[in-house]
Amino acid sequence: MKFYNAFLFSLISFLSVGQNFTISGTIKDATNGEDVYGAVVMIKELENVGTTTNSYGFYSLTLSQGEYTIVYRSTGFETQELKINLNQNISQNLELKIPADVLEIQEVSVNAVKENNNITSSEMNVTRFDPKSIETIPVLFGEKDILKTLQLTPGVKTAGEGNSGFYVRGGGADQNLILLDEAPVYNASHLLGFFSVFNSDAIKDVSLYKSGIPAEFGSRASSVVDVKMREGNNKKFNASGGIGLISSRLTLEAPIVKDKGSFIISGRRTYADLFLGLSKQDIPDNTKLFFYDLNAKANYRISEKDRIYLSGYFGRDKFALGSDFGFNWGNATGTLRWNRIINQKLFSNTSLVFSHFDYEFTIGEGDDGFGISSSIQDWNVKQDFTYYINSNNTMKMGVNGIHHTFKPGALTGENESFNEIKLDSRYAIELGVFIQNETKFGSRWNLMYGLRYSGFDYLGGPKVFEFDEDGNTTSTENTDRWKTVKYYHGLEPRLSASFIISENNSVKLGYNRIFQYLHQLSNSTTSSPTDNWVPSSNNVKPQIADQIALGYYQNLNKNMFKISTEIYYKFLQNQIDYRNGADLFLNDEVEGDLVYGTGRAFGFELQVEKVKGKFTGWISYTISRSLRKFDQINEGIEFPARQDRIHDLSVVLMYRFNKALAASASFIYYTGSAVTFPSGKYQVAGEYVPYYTERNGYRMPDYHRLDVGLTWYMKERKRFDHSLNVSVYNVYARENAYAISFQEDPEDPSKTQAVQTTLFKLIPSITYNFKFK
Amino acid sequence: MRNLIYCFSILIVLASCTKVIDVDLNDTDPKFVMEANYTAEDSTVRVKLSLTTSYFDNEPQATLDNLVVIITDHLGNPTQVPFIGNGSYELTNYIPNFNTDYTMTVQYEGVTYTAVSRMNPPVQLLPIVYEYYPPFFGLEAGYITFLRFNDPPGIQNQYIIVMSLNHVEEKNLTDFYLQSDELSDGNLVERPLFRENPFQIGDTVGLELRSMDRGVYDYFSEILSIAGGQSSAAPANPKSNWDNKGLGYFSAYSNSRIEVVIE
Repeated sequence: MKFYNAFLFSLISFLSVGQNFTISGTIKDATNGEDVYGAVVMIKELENVGTTTNSYGFYSLTLSQGEYTIVYRSTGFETQELKINLNQNISQNLELKIPADVLEIQEVSVNAVKENNNITSSEMNVTRFDPKSIETIPVLFGEKDILKTLQLTPGVKTAGEGNSGFYVRGGGADQNLILLDEAPVYNASHLLGFFSVFNSDAIKDVSLYKSGIPAEFGSRASSVVDVKMREGNNKKFNASGGIGLISSRLTLEAPIVKDKGSFIISGRRTYADLFLGLSKQDIPDNTKLFFYDLNAKANYRISEKDRIYLSGYFGRDKFALGSDFGFNWGNATGTLRWNRIINQKLFSNTSLVFSHFDYEFTIGEGDDGFGISSSIQDWNVKQDFTYYINSNNTMKMGVNGIHHTFKPGALTGENESFNEIKLDSRYAIELGVFIQNETKFGSRWNLMYGLRYSGFDYLGGPKVFEFDEDGNTTSTENTDRWKTVKYYHGLEPRLSASFIISENNSVKLGYNRIFQYLHQLSNSTTSSPTDNWVPSSNNVKPQIADQIALGYYQNLNKNMFKISTEIYYKFLQNQIDYRNGADLFLNDEVEGDLVYGTGRAFGFELQVEKVKGKFTGWISYTISRSLRKFDQINEGIEFPARQDRIHDLSVVLMYRFNKALAASASFIYYTGSAVTFPSGKYQVAGEYVPYYTERNGYRMPDYHRLDVGLTWYMKERKRFDHSLNVSVYNVYARENAYAISFQEDPEDPSKTQAVQTTLFKLIPSITYNFKFK
Repeated sequence: MRNLIYCFSILIVLASCTKVIDVDLNDTDPKFVMEANYTAEDSTVRVKLSLTTSYFDNEPQATLDNLVVIITDHLGNPTQVPFIGNGSYELTNYIPNFNTDYTMTVQYEGVTYTAVSRMNPPVQLLPIVYEYYPPFFGLEAGYITFLRFNDPPGIQNQYIIVMSLNHVEEKNLTDFYLQSDELSDGNLVERPLFRENPFQIGDTVGLELRSMDRGVYDYFSEILSIAGGQSSAAPANPKSNWDNKGLGYFSAYSNSRIEVVIE
């Protein structure tokens, strides 16, 4: 109770402010008119006074009357200074220019905002980057991928070879909230995980929060990946694109009305199936294997104070073997936003967000055919306010409500062998209300504290099941569409505090509690589109994560080197696993197959970055553990989670020789994942089968790999730019283990053997990029 | 369905390669394994008792001789299953009662292991049809047979299908086909039985449809997911119908058979 009293007290204390004036406005990129997010607005005369622009480029600073020099600064732009005499409220919009010589802005950083913003901001180590800054990092098949770049930063681990799925600080892959323009993306990967759904050409900014998560975010236990789409050039028409080995991209952007509104459309399609023809295998005609993405966004300024944004994403994977078998899946998201600058101190954003994911199998056709489909769909209404109280306090508050529809599966078709079955749809409403304040005490303390209330109203389906301890159904009850079956709710305190020791070093502390009400069921080693999302219900409790993190940050050599170290401890409640032989597919009573336990994760992370000069890059190292405990698994003894990898090292190096040539390399090393191997064998029906003793008691072999890339920026013309990127994945052809299976020796069934599968050895790729401007 | 996804993954990783590697595995104390079948067709109970061995051990499993194995019918009448040598026990002329439960007990090192299995009645197979399939992803061309039968409506049925080629039964674990009626209760089931080496003209193909106990069917479905090198994220020992952590299963089953010559 004391905590909440203190909280209320500090809110009230803001109301006692003196005679002040406000300077506010919007900051844009001079070349294309897009909003600049995260630009720093500082007052030269005052220490530790300043703000950053929000994702719509808006800033507001309230100061006492006086003459000031305002400094506007953002990565990749020329810093601008402006002298003002603040004796009335001032509205000051600004356009930031990109320096003429590209080599002057070699600040390629995943954390760069203000030169030493990493030291002074209250946020813990937020990983933020612009996809442009990482375009030279070598990647598999030459496909730039923001999620794979995130995996090169500390505390983020890949879900597997070449996979865009990831684990943050020992959490599961379903514990990451991946937002694209505020819309959750339920399945962020293509082609079983080898590519993410994010087309870098359409992306403006990516931020990863892994500790001290701000109160505006909720609903996933481990991290938030906030992806923002570009708005499009509102000055002139632009076309850009790229042609790669397995995919091509095209982006068009143009003003709707110059300086008032713009649109962007960006598409990408792979053509991996063309290579199938080269394979020696006999492949049926009409075999398809591809995916496409389409990002579209438009914005229009209705008045000086009002702006409307409409953005959407549509992506689909298609796989077909003639007419015998088809499998396709995809996401669709849509966001309609209305920004309003209510007054110089109060900014409002209202959003209507839609998100949909579905998959479908089709087998056979006509009388013999049948299909299986499943989906999840959200409608979300959000209202957020930012109140710029004074130069020391920025308050955010908001409310949102999501209506979830889960369609766990349906089997339909003409095939008479099968009865049509349709698992009942389930519904739920998720609520969030938050308030948060970012405040400064003196010149040394920055504090961001907030509280989120979340609620989950499980409305169920027509049938509500109950299970006994062994997972057998004990009762089936019928219920009405809008009747609450179970209501969960909770308070989620959030805190991040920084103590600035000097302008070159600081200490930060972060705490967050998060409730997660949706859970993804998966029992395969790769991420599969068929891994269904299930809601918390009368049987499934929400996951709860508590995390505390402490960090020390040091900048060296005039902010040329940035060192960050963090330690964290995370405790997870109501984690989900499965009974042996659980049937997660087309199973109405799947909840009976689930078991619940706890988890904990802890670790130490170190990152050293060089952000300026011809030579840039970073080294990140993590030592960590992630453990789980379930009464029904491993005889109740705590065991390592699959993502438990003790050491994890990434080295990323980029070198700019001159205007025309850039080289890069990345090296990755990690301890093999925890895995279950047999400790004995016995025969069943004439064949040896493995006998298991402990869950995840063994380790896969250590993983390491080196990738290199070279980008040649060809001679620039006035209206046309182009470049060529050549990269090699796994240069020294290390045979990393993707899977190890235990089986009978095919040549001698009396013997058994372990067989390792390796996926990618030395994959070269080439990509040509162009831009008409 | 898992196989279809598996197939799909294979397609993506055409570039992948495999090799046999050395893995250092811990050894565990030998565990008791009981594999027991009661086949209605020949009214015979067959039991094999053994111990687990280290994974890379190339010696056969140690067998357990002269233990007391007893089968009890639903009326509570016990009958001993006599030891016939080399870890095997066999009881012949033991006439089945369909739709009743049989209980088996085995005593080993002071522990009594018990398992119960229901003897379900046979379900008649319908004549086999077959179809020619062109070459497909490295599989050769040939004939694929269709499993056909009328599933009894209103009751839960589950089956294991065993194929034979020219009177040689393919009755190893990974040759089994599993079929349950969750999606097809009471229907005429027609399912192609795909296999690595399709049949050719002149082959005699036989099918055996075993009506299984639910628990034993689940056991086989689980064990197939860890046998034959398929890797799930968290492999575990299948749930056996033996108590006291006994490994293996006790299966009472009936069957029907049918044959066709590919022409």
